[in-house]
Amino acid sequence: MIAETLIEKAMKKAQGAQALLTQSEHTRVSFESDKLKSVESSQRTDIRLRVVLNGKVGLSNTTDINDLDGVVARAIECAEFGSSAHFQFPNPQEGTDVKIYDDKVIPVSKTEMVKISQEMMDLIKKYNPNIMVYAGVDKNVLKREFANSSGVKFTDEETHFSTGVFGVLVRGNDILEAGYGFGCKKRDIDHISIANRAVELFKMAENTATIKSGNIPVIFTPSGMEVLLLALELGFNGKNVFLGSSPLAGKLGEKIADERFSLIDNPLIDYASASRKYDDEGVPHQVTPLIDKGIVKSFLYDLDTAGRSGTKTTGHGIGCNPTNLVIKEGETSFEEMVKNTKEGLIVESVMGLGQGNPISGEFSVNVQLGYKIENGEIVGRVKDVMLAGNTYDALKNILAIGNKSEWVYGSLLTPYVQIGSLSVVAK
Amino acid sequence: MKFYEKEMIILRERLEEALRKSDAEYTEIRIEDVASSWISFRGEELDSIGSSKTVGGIVRALVKGGWGYSTFNDINNLNVRVKEACESAKMIGKEESKFAQVEPVVDCIKAELVKDFREISLSHKKSVIEEYNKIVLGYHEKIKTSIVAYGDSFRKIWFANSDGSYIEDERPNTTLYISATARDGDNVQHGMESTGGMTGFQIVEGFHEKAEASAKRAVELLSAPPVTGGKYTVITNPNLTGVFVHEAFGHLSEADFIYENEGMKEIMVLGKRFGSDILNIIDDGSYPGQIGTHKYDDEGVRTRKNYLIKDGILVGRLHSRETSAKMGEMPTGNARSIGYQFPPIVRMTNTYIDKGNSSFEDMIKDVKLGIYALDMIGGQTAMEMFTFSAAYAYMIRDGKIAELIRDVVLTGNVFETLLNIDMIGDKLEWAPGGPGGCGKSAQSPLPVGFGGPHIRIQNVVVGGRQ
Repeated sequence: MIAETLIEKAMKKAQGAQALLTQSEHTRVSFESDKLKSVESSQRTDIRLRVVLNGKVGLSNTTDINDLDGVVARAIECAEFGSSAHFQFPNPQEGTDVKIYDDKVIPVSKTEMVKISQEMMDLIKKYNPNIMVYAGVDKNVLKREFANSSGVKFTDEETHFSTGVFGVLVRGNDILEAGYGFGCKKRDIDHISIANRAVELFKMAENTATIKSGNIPVIFTPSGMEVLLLALELGFNGKNVFLGSSPLAGKLGEKIADERFSLIDNPLIDYASASRKYDDEGVPHQVTPLIDKGIVKSFLYDLDTAGRSGTKTTGHGIGCNPTNLVIKEGETSFEEMVKNTKEGLIVESVMGLGQGNPISGEFSVNVQLGYKIENGEIVGRVKDVMLAGNTYDALKNILAIGNKSEWVYGSLLTPYVQIGSLSVVAK
Repeated sequence: MKFYEKEMIILRERLEEALRKSDAEYTEIRIEDVASSWISFRGEELDSIGSSKTVGGIVRALVKGGWGYSTFNDINNLNVRVKEACESAKMIGKEESKFAQVEPVVDCIKAELVKDFREISLSHKKSVIEEYNKIVLGYHEKIKTSIVAYGDSFRKIWFANSDGSYIEDERPNTTLYISATARDGDNVQHGMESTGGMTGFQIVEGFHEKAEASAKRAVELLSAPPVTGGKYTVITNPNLTGVFVHEAFGHLSEADFIYENEGMKEIMVLGKRFGSDILNIIDDGSYPGQIGTHKYDDEGVRTRKNYLIKDGILVGRLHSRETSAKMGEMPTGNARSIGYQFPPIVRMTNTYIDKGNSSFEDMIKDVKLGIYALDMIGGQTAMEMFTFSAAYAYMIRDGKIAELIRDVVLTGNVFETLLNIDMIGDKLEWAPGGPGGCGKSAQSPLPVGFGGPHIRIQNVVVGGRQ
């Protein structure tokens, strides 16, 4: 096992070490502009070593499996000037099993991947032959080998499968782009419903609606929820909390959102994109409630940040980033939300997210794909519209939460969420 | 002995031998060896110090209009990779290939570094950026934390194709990013500065004043009000003009959005007016000393100066060898890849609005209520619509710069906004480099140059509360 060999080599000089070897094989089929355009195969190797020498940390990476002595030497060199280690490498601990490997993924042939793409494309074309279609199918198999100097060692193997389709429709000087995609760790993906979802987005955009500047209720679709979640992903990151740049620092136990709003981080959902038994530091994954009934419950930590903060890792190494995020369902159907809205906006996707000051919760984005609601009905697509607000204000001003959750990109499970009022600026 | 010293002497022979195994109409192999190091502070403490070494390659094969790609880290089985790419291409190719012919070249480009970062110790690199971190953290009691991140990489590329081209290219890069975070209760504000470039370690030296400027701005923004959303006359400073032209027009001139889409071809027909007579937009991969500059693109095509808009009229676009052949236009040297994991696609290099003849005073003097927007945080485009955001801004009131404001994100539509540029400044400047860059089709970040003078735009929609 290469990871163990690396630990042996590193421990000749270092007092602690961890090594992670990742090897993957990936195949992708792509349609561009209505045509089968490319087939890609890729092979990847990645070795990451972290050593502790005299209480200091050094890192080194390589893609060359024959460069083990080199990667050890460079990590040791970095450690001489490295940051202080605020952690001990963990001892072996048993984790919770979660399904991450589907043996139906590898046998999917390139021909079958072409067929899936073609079927998605045909559905869009059947709706409107003028839409220029792009489609793709990916399959991936990834093996990890992990070891540390405290005796943790494991290997795991996971599969990933994803399909997506999007189209471009040009009408005069009007260009409409819409699409939908999904990926997870199992083969069983219904590409027909993905294509139908994309068609639905085009259908709702057949008409263009005008909207006046002002403050109106806004429904975020599951895809559109990224607007609100970006600030939370940054805000719950334990490193930002420790450094004081997160506005949630010091707010453990405080109410920051409507009591119907609950958010958990769950890496133990079978076949979800970010699911695994252990994190990249060999720590067993666990379910971490972040917001429960509007109240801040926990932040996300890796070993070093937990050490600095005087707490325990939550299994979010390395980097304190979320795994799969799950927002609790509410009681209102999407149809009811629309029906109950006199004038409002539906946001499916935006442009410019994260360009402002996202950690503060502030967002100011162009509504790339959004729809106007008038008197309880969706009347058409809006264009050249800016949406602005603050995630933390919005979470206190929730009008309704959907009663049905959907997966977005395989790592976010969320219902539709309607916010009482946000600022819309139109031409 | 290092990998390339031992093996690269015979690499050209191996590449050419593998190419001979191909039965595709066109085949290319690109091998890259990248050595990089990074040091970052977050707050008082060193956050991360490390180094990496990657070796990898890509084979691209074209058969009857279909492409096969094979990418890999193990470069010992080039023949197998060539075969794999050819088989993929054969499986899907169904039409006649179109691929622009270019004269084969054999060339070897050596990096020219004033201070070679590979010969500078990690401890010295660390001590240089530690000074900047101390300046930021010591500036004011409201400075809560900082990011000071240094990175360097030395990329060596070996490129060979079935036309007979063979190019060795060295692409060094050094970057520095400084972010100061000030906090007052729930109000968190940032000040950012960055630099970067291809000429060596000296680029990141002597950055003390900028470090202090980032901290000063973060603190000042705490008491700046957010912009009120609405429509404004906006003057952008040269750094922001650069990102504006990149988002507002650069992406739409990339021919891969156009070449197989009849509707897009109509919209983007050469000769169409997009701006007034004063507007000139250029992409130039041969512009000396910029971060998007290379002698050849990643298809072995010589880079050059390409006018996109001349006197307000669309006169050109950015091409790969495939898009140029399909549109019957000349290749422009704009097929670029961020690394061996990806095939080259149509990208910008250094994009700028050419200087005009207005002074800043002339631009501002008759603006009753407007915004002077400076420096960039970022931008994004979706075909006709685009956004870009300023790091900070001032209100313009009665022809004069007034109070500092924050959260200025601007949006526009390519068919209207360029026509709304009514004044262009008389001095062209380039934005400083840095670790960021342009993203497209999962390839990010690609170093691109952003340039321009001050410009004035009428009727810009600015997001914000009302």
